[in-house]
Amino acid sequence: MSEGLRTTNNNHKGAQKLLRRGFLKLAAVGAGLSGCIPVNDKMARWLEAPVRPPEEALPGEATWYASTCRQCPAGCGIVVRTINGRAKKIDGNPAHPLNQGKLCSRGQAGLQVLYNPDRLKNAVRQSGGRGTHQFEPIQWEAALDQVAEKLKGINPERVAFLGGLMPDHLYLLVSRFLEALGAPAPFQFDMHSAYDGRTTAIKVSEELFGTTTLPFYDIANADVVFSFGANFLETWQSPVAYSRGYGEFRQGEPGRRGFMVHFEPRLSATAASADEWVPIRPGSEGLVALALGRMIVERRLGHVGAFTEEESRLYQGLDVERLSRESDVPVETLERLAHILANGNRPVAIPGGAPAGHTNGHSAYLAVQALNLILRRLGQRGGVFLSQPTPVETLPAALASSSFAAVQDLIRRMYDGQVDVLFVYGTNPVFELPEASGFRASLERVPFVVSFSPFVDETAAQADLILPDHTYLESWGYQVPSPSADRPVVSNQQPVVRPLSDTRSTAEIILALAAQLGGEVADALPWRGFSLFLEDASGMLFGSSLSAYRASTAGSFWAAWRQHGGWWADRVLQLEPEPVGFRVGPLPVTPPSFEGAEESFPFYLYPYPNLALSDGRGANLPWLQEVPDPMTTARWSSWIEINPQTADSMGLEDNQVVRVVSPHGEIEAIVVVYPGIRPDVIAIPVGQGHSDYGRYARERGTNPLTLLAPLVDPESGALAWGATRVRVEPTGRKVTLARLESLDGEGRETIR
Amino acid sequence: MINRMGTRWRWPVMVSVLFLFALVAARSYQESTSNQRDQRVAFSHPIHAQAGIQCLYCHSEAARSQIAGIPSVQKCVGCHQVIAADEPPVQELLGYWERDEPIPWRRVTEQLDFVYFSHQPHLGAGLNCETCHGNVAQMEVVEPAVDMHMGWCLRCHEAQPAIKIARLVDCITCHK
Repeated sequence: MSEGLRTTNNNHKGAQKLLRRGFLKLAAVGAGLSGCIPVNDKMARWLEAPVRPPEEALPGEATWYASTCRQCPAGCGIVVRTINGRAKKIDGNPAHPLNQGKLCSRGQAGLQVLYNPDRLKNAVRQSGGRGTHQFEPIQWEAALDQVAEKLKGINPERVAFLGGLMPDHLYLLVSRFLEALGAPAPFQFDMHSAYDGRTTAIKVSEELFGTTTLPFYDIANADVVFSFGANFLETWQSPVAYSRGYGEFRQGEPGRRGFMVHFEPRLSATAASADEWVPIRPGSEGLVALALGRMIVERRLGHVGAFTEEESRLYQGLDVERLSRESDVPVETLERLAHILANGNRPVAIPGGAPAGHTNGHSAYLAVQALNLILRRLGQRGGVFLSQPTPVETLPAALASSSFAAVQDLIRRMYDGQVDVLFVYGTNPVFELPEASGFRASLERVPFVVSFSPFVDETAAQADLILPDHTYLESWGYQVPSPSADRPVVSNQQPVVRPLSDTRSTAEIILALAAQLGGEVADALPWRGFSLFLEDASGMLFGSSLSAYRASTAGSFWAAWRQHGGWWADRVLQLEPEPVGFRVGPLPVTPPSFEGAEESFPFYLYPYPNLALSDGRGANLPWLQEVPDPMTTARWSSWIEINPQTADSMGLEDNQVVRVVSPHGEIEAIVVVYPGIRPDVIAIPVGQGHSDYGRYARERGTNPLTLLAPLVDPESGALAWGATRVRVEPTGRKVTLARLESLDGEGRETIR
Repeated sequence: MINRMGTRWRWPVMVSVLFLFALVAARSYQESTSNQRDQRVAFSHPIHAQAGIQCLYCHSEAARSQIAGIPSVQKCVGCHQVIAADEPPVQELLGYWERDEPIPWRRVTEQLDFVYFSHQPHLGAGLNCETCHGNVAQMEVVEPAVDMHMGWCLRCHEAQPAIKIARLVDCITCHK
C-alpha cells in the first residue's frame, strides 16, 4: 500500500514539476510573442466628408444659430448647435428677452420634428382618392400649376384658408395673398389656442382696454398671485416666460416668498406649486372672482382705501352665499382669500385657460379683470400689462385667432357647398375639432383640399394634394412673441440646416403662386424670395435708438439680426392698459351651462392639454411621448383621472379600463386613481388617439375630443371645451399604464 | 491539458499554438498597412501635387480648426467632371457624386482618444504639413511618416521659445 502511495506521490510530484515547467515555458513564449504583435488600433477607421459641404461650418466644430421655436405659439428664442451640417441640440437663447435662455421640453424636442422618419420627402397627391393613403410624388412645378389653375378658374369667395395659430410672417403673406385675390381672410384656429383661452382673452381685452392685444401678467414682480385656472407652469400661453417669472416671484426678492392661490377643478402642476389649491366647481371661476370682489369692496379690504362709485356698482346685488354654493367654495374660505388678495402689496389676478372653456368664459374674464381694476393693478409693477405690438410696421403681427364660432361658420359653408378650395396649414381639424362639429363630413363636400403639413396627419390624409412645408429649423420667418416680454421684441427664425428633402417653405410657395397668378396678387407680394423680404423689412429697425445692439451699416445690422436672433429694445418698456371699457353697472353673473343631464351623465369632463403633447401636435415625437405627466407620471397612452372616493364607490382601481360616454360619443381609457381632482369631475389628457400622423402617434391612447359637445360661449364665440358631462362604465378589462412611479397597488410608492 | 497528454504530443501542440499566434499577429500587421492601400477611390497625392494643388486646397480647415478635413465630393467633382473623366478612379469618384453618396475614406493618421490635437495652432505657429506628415506629395499610398507618440511631439514642443514652453509641456494642454 505504501508502495502504491509512494508511486502515486512520486508521479504526482513529477507531474507537478512538469505542470510548473510547462506553464512557465508557455507563459514566457506567450509573453514574448504578444510583445511582437504591433499594438494597432488603426483597424479600419473611417472618415466621411459630406457630398456637399455645409456653409460656414468647420468640421468637428459646432456652429450655433439663433432662431425661434415654433412648437407652440409663444415664440421663445432658441439657439441650435450644429456640427457637420447636422442639428444636435436646441437650447433657449440667453439674450432673448422672452425666455432668457430657458426652454421647455417641447422646444427641446424640435430636433425630432426635423429628423422625424415619417416626414414627407416631396410634394404628393393622393392618387387613390382621399383616405386611401396612396400617395404619388408630384413635381413641385406641376403641383403649383395645378393649384394656380384651380385658383384662376373660380370665384375667389369660394377659397378658404384654415390655419392654426400661424407664425406672423406666414399670416402676413397669406392674408395679403387672399386679400389681393378677393378671398376671405385666413382663419386661425387650433385647439391649443382654445385651451389657452386666447380668443376670450383678446375679446375681453378689446372691450376693456380698447385694443386687440393679449394682456400679460407681471408675476415676476408680484407678491400675491390668484390664478383662475391659468396653468402657466405647464402649457398656458407662454409657459417658459411665465415659469421664469414664477421663479422670480418666489425667489427674486430676499425675504419674500410670495403667496399663490390656484383655482381649478383638477390639481395641475401649477396648482401643486401654489400655496393653496381651491378645487372649484367647473365653470365657476367668474363666480368666485365676483364673490371676492364683492367682499373686498363691501368691507373696504386692503390698501386701496375708498373705492369709487363705479367700482362699488360693479358688485351690486351680488349674493355671496349663493356664489359660494354655486362654486362649492365655503364662505369662510372666500373671506380668508379676499383678505389675502386685498392685503397684498402687489397682487394680481390671472384669468387662465380653464374659465375660457365654458359657456360663461367671457363673464368670468370680466370678473377676474375687475379684481385687477379695483385693486389698482393695471399698468402697475407686478400687475397687468398689454403685450407689445410689433416695433416696426414692415413686420406686422398676426391678428387675433378666430373663434370657434367663426370656424363653425366655415364648416357650415363647406357643408353647403360654398367652398371650392380649402387650404389647411398648421392645424389638424379632423383630429382636433370635436367630432360633433361635423368637420369631417363637411370636408367631403369641398372638391379640392390642399394641406401644407410636413406629416400625413388625419387632415392631410383627407387632402387631394400635400405640399409639405419645411420644418421651422429649415426655413426663414419672424415672430412677435405673444404674450410679449417686458419690452418690444421681434424674434427671427432662420434655417439651421439645409432642407433635408425636397420640401418647400410655405412662405415661398405663396410667393411663387402670387408670381404665377400675376396681376394684383403679384403686385401685393412683389418679393422674389422670403429671406430678401425679411432683410428689407427688418432693416427698417436699423436706425432705432432703442436697439439692444449697435450696427454701423445695414449689412452689419442684417448680420447682427441673425446672430442675436431678432431685435429687441435695450430697456424695459411696458404698455399700460387703460380701463376705458368697464361698463357702469353690475358685472354679469352667468352660471355655466353644460350638455348632458346630470342623472345620466353624473360627471363633468375636464379634458386638458398634455404638458408634452399639447393639443396632439407633439404625439409624433417619441421624446415627448416619453415625458411623464407631472402629476400622474403616466405617458405613452391616455388615461382618466378619477377621485379615490368616486373610484371606491364604483369599485374602480388603477389600470382598469372604463368606457366614458357623453351625449355625443364614447371612448375607453385607463383609470388612474388621482386624489387631486374633485369627486364629481373626471379628467382626460388630450393629445393621443391619433389614427395617422406617423408611427409614434398612431393607435396610441384615445382622443377625448370625440366626446365633446360643440357648445360655444355666446359672448366670445369660444369653444366651451369644459361643458360636457359624461358617465363612466367599467368594462372589466385591465391594461397596465406606463408610469414612471411605482405603486404597490395600495397607491403607495415602492421606490423611495 | 498539455500535461495530461502523452509527452509525444506536447511540443507539436505548443508549436501549432505559437504558429497560430504568429499568423494572427502577421495578419493584423498586414491589416494596418493595408488600410492605406484599400481606399475606395485610388487617389494619388503625387499626381495632384504635381498639378500644383496646395495641401490646404483640399484639407482646407487645417488652418482654422482642430481637424484638417477631407474634401467634399463636390470639391473633387468641381475639376473632375471634366479633367481625366475617363480614368477609372475618376469614374469611381463620379459614381459617388451621381449617387449623392459620401466617399468612405480609410483613416491614416490618428491620435488616440485621450489626446486633444488641434491643427489650427500648429499651422498658426508656421509649421508646414510635411514636418509631421512627411513628404505626402511623393507618396502614392499615404502612410504615417513618423510614429506620433508623445515623446516625438514633446521633442518639438520643448524646442520652442522659452516663453511658450510652460504651456506646451503642460499635461492639460493636450490631455484636456
